Amino acid sequence: MDIFGSYALLLAFAFAVYAIAGGIAAIVTRRPLLIKSARNAGFAVCVLIWMGTASLIYLFYTDNYAMAYVAAHSNHNLAPYYKFSALWSGQEGSLLFWSFLLSIYVFSVLFTYRGKHPELMPYVGVVMAGVQIFFLTMNNFIASPFRVFAASGPGGIMHLVTRPDGSGLNPLLQYPEMAIHPPTLYSGYTGFTIPFAFALAALLGRYPGEKWIHLTRRWTMIAWAFQSAGILLGAHWAYAVLGWGGYWGWDPVENASLMPWLTGTAFLHSVIMQEKRGMMRVWNVWLVFLTFMLCILGTSLTRSGAVNSVHAFAESNIGHWFWGFLLLVILVCVAAYFKNRDYLRSDNQLDSMLSRESSFLFNNLILLVACIAVLAGTLFPVLSEAVRGSKISVGPPFFNRVNIPIAMFLLFLTGVGPLLAWRKTSVESLKKNFGMPLIGGCIAAAIAVAMGLREFYVGLCLLLGVFVTLTILAEFYRGARVISARTGSNLLSSASQLTMRNTRRYGGYVVHFGMVLVFIGISGTAFNQDKQMDMKAGSVMSIGPYTLHLQNFDSDQKPNYSSERATIDVDKDGRSVMMLYPTRRFYPSNQESGTMVAISSTLREDLYVVYAGTNPDTNLPVIHAYLNPLVKWIWLGGVIVVLGTILALIPNRQAVMVMSAAPATAASPLPGGPQPARASYSARSKLPENHD
Amino acid sequence: MCAAFVALASALVPLRVDAQKTDRAKSLGTQLMCMCGCGQILTQCNHINCPSSGPMLKELDAHVEKGEADNLIIQDFVQEYGEKVLSSPPSTGFNSIAWYIPGVAFALGLAIVIVLIRLWRQRDIARLASASSAPVSAATASSTMDEIQRRRAREQADRDTEEL
Repeated sequence: MDIFGSYALLLAFAFAVYAIAGGIAAIVTRRPLLIKSARNAGFAVCVLIWMGTASLIYLFYTDNYAMAYVAAHSNHNLAPYYKFSALWSGQEGSLLFWSFLLSIYVFSVLFTYRGKHPELMPYVGVVMAGVQIFFLTMNNFIASPFRVFAASGPGGIMHLVTRPDGSGLNPLLQYPEMAIHPPTLYSGYTGFTIPFAFALAALLGRYPGEKWIHLTRRWTMIAWAFQSAGILLGAHWAYAVLGWGGYWGWDPVENASLMPWLTGTAFLHSVIMQEKRGMMRVWNVWLVFLTFMLCILGTSLTRSGAVNSVHAFAESNIGHWFWGFLLLVILVCVAAYFKNRDYLRSDNQLDSMLSRESSFLFNNLILLVACIAVLAGTLFPVLSEAVRGSKISVGPPFFNRVNIPIAMFLLFLTGVGPLLAWRKTSVESLKKNFGMPLIGGCIAAAIAVAMGLREFYVGLCLLLGVFVTLTILAEFYRGARVISARTGSNLLSSASQLTMRNTRRYGGYVVHFGMVLVFIGISGTAFNQDKQMDMKAGSVMSIGPYTLHLQNFDSDQKPNYSSERATIDVDKDGRSVMMLYPTRRFYPSNQESGTMVAISSTLREDLYVVYAGTNPDTNLPVIHAYLNPLVKWIWLGGVIVVLGTILALIPNRQAVMVMSAAPATAASPLPGGPQPARASYSARSKLPENHD
Repeated sequence: MCAAFVALASALVPLRVDAQKTDRAKSLGTQLMCMCGCGQILTQCNHINCPSSGPMLKELDAHVEKGEADNLIIQDFVQEYGEKVLSSPPSTGFNSIAWYIPGVAFALGLAIVIVLIRLWRQRDIARLASASSAPVSAATASSTMDEIQRRRAREQADRDTEEL
């Protein structure tokens, strides 16, 4: 099976080379048969990658410890579901998994647009195959997951050596979320290849109009949704597993995932300007290029060891391959741009500073500045070392200080943008739309200050959060009211009709609301408390309104690990409210330990208890308790963001045409008889202004 | 089985002992990095068997107990571990550039956006002016501008109603 997987990947590489060569020939000769042949080669590449991936999974499930990768990341006692997730737990497997996810996107694109857009698709096929070739080069020749243990036998003949058992999976990865976080995040990274391929293809082929934008919008949103969910799942994993009481540490790997998300978000907004007004063509193409480049850059940074990261595959010798690929991508993009830049000339101009267009410009500016701030912080240690010869640290205090004001401005624009009309907004309209939400936000902030809130940014976040929420509600209300007046249905049903008639716009509002919840949740960090104590049975620790009574410790032995667990009875206001069981595990196969944090989560706060270790001086267990307010809002917000994106992906429902009586007019009397009511068709509703 | 439990016990070595006795120590701890290479803030490092965070936190508590000034304590750590121990770049010298990059990027971006908006508006005005500069009557010029506005409105309506 190892040979099967290896050959499948080699064949995939060969077919990918053909897909490029055939695609270029098809572009030059415009022969339909060549176009079809190159496309079929693209299909073959994908199927072969799936076969290679399937064979590696098979090797994991059959405990084939002659395979170096399987032996390094699995063992006999590993739970079956983790044998699946072990696929992407190391360098080689994660690169194959990257190829696998990319192949799903490529197959879907080739299949969806087979026989369509003959001027564009050969270019798209060539670009996608180009990206696939890079990853297949890694899979086949640089970091193959199909390497075997071999030894020289009699006569110098090499034979396979099967180890009795593997080293096991990293304990930090033996957690259910690790089974879904990497696939989700990688689906985001790989998904951005599709808009990149279309943008580059449209530029190379001088494909007319905004069609490529229409074709890729949904693909971009899918990638963005995966990236968003992946980032939040990673944050949740860090929170629930690492036991340091936080969810975001500004680690280079985290930053690497955030940067393309920021530029992808900017693209999703500015692309609306190109669709509606034919503006920002150059900018949008470069935003797509930049998003893809940042996906590669982030991977280069974290896999080359250029920056310190807690992630396991941080230091390896494959980083320079990614740097080379990134350089190639930059060269191709720059060359394509300079060759065909006249094709990107914009149609329309800007009429007013107070317009939706200008709000999108500022939105893009802020998102790009955030991206630059994160990139600068991530790369600065390398720069400092190059210039001064000594590395410095750029940790969370820097990122928090720089990014919090940026985030507040972004939140402000989230509320303001949708209230501005295309082209020009009158001051009266601004007052009318802004008045109530702004007053609502100020009242909320004033109440919070009266109740003792003194943190400036938390107060500002609350004010802006309420402001944005009210603007979103007002938008739904205005639209629903019009539909309700026309159809007689209730407001809720009208709001549902409204949403389904323009899913992109109202799904976008749902996403904005989800982001508000995420921001509010993050602002809770300002009130985090923690306490640490050496505790024995009968010890008591107080934190916030909770009192923790440590009852006892017990231990357990499982096939894959041994564990030690504390049993803690938690009181609130003198009443027992729950039992918590923080646990430590030891995995003998790889001689590593892990924490199982006990978390009691409510909308108000999380009580987060870690069994941190044993004090060698007192020989007593150390319990570390954290009280983290509003954390649940972040996860809830994340779910709403994903649901909003799914909603925006649903095609619009057509406006229903209904018969309605037209008023009788004196100008058109029917001769010779009574005047009948005339039937006319009218749209069921007229939506309020400013809609997308 | 015994070996496993011995290993488990050895793995449960403390992360920090008697550390962070005061809020001041906690606050100072956030200005320092753990030097084990984990890239975490000193007070947040919870790596099992971390050889750095425990002793560093003890050292920090000792400084605080002596009543030393904050900046002296931080300087002590810098002398011992180098600038890398600071959790954010110093605000002086070459490393202060890190603090300026986001602000400079914002100022540059803002300038570009403003110039761009002005340029677009000027081009728009010039286009309208050239459309109306032909030697025609005021009424004709007005109707030309109306026509441009109508064409734009039509285009806009087309885009707004397009199924995306």
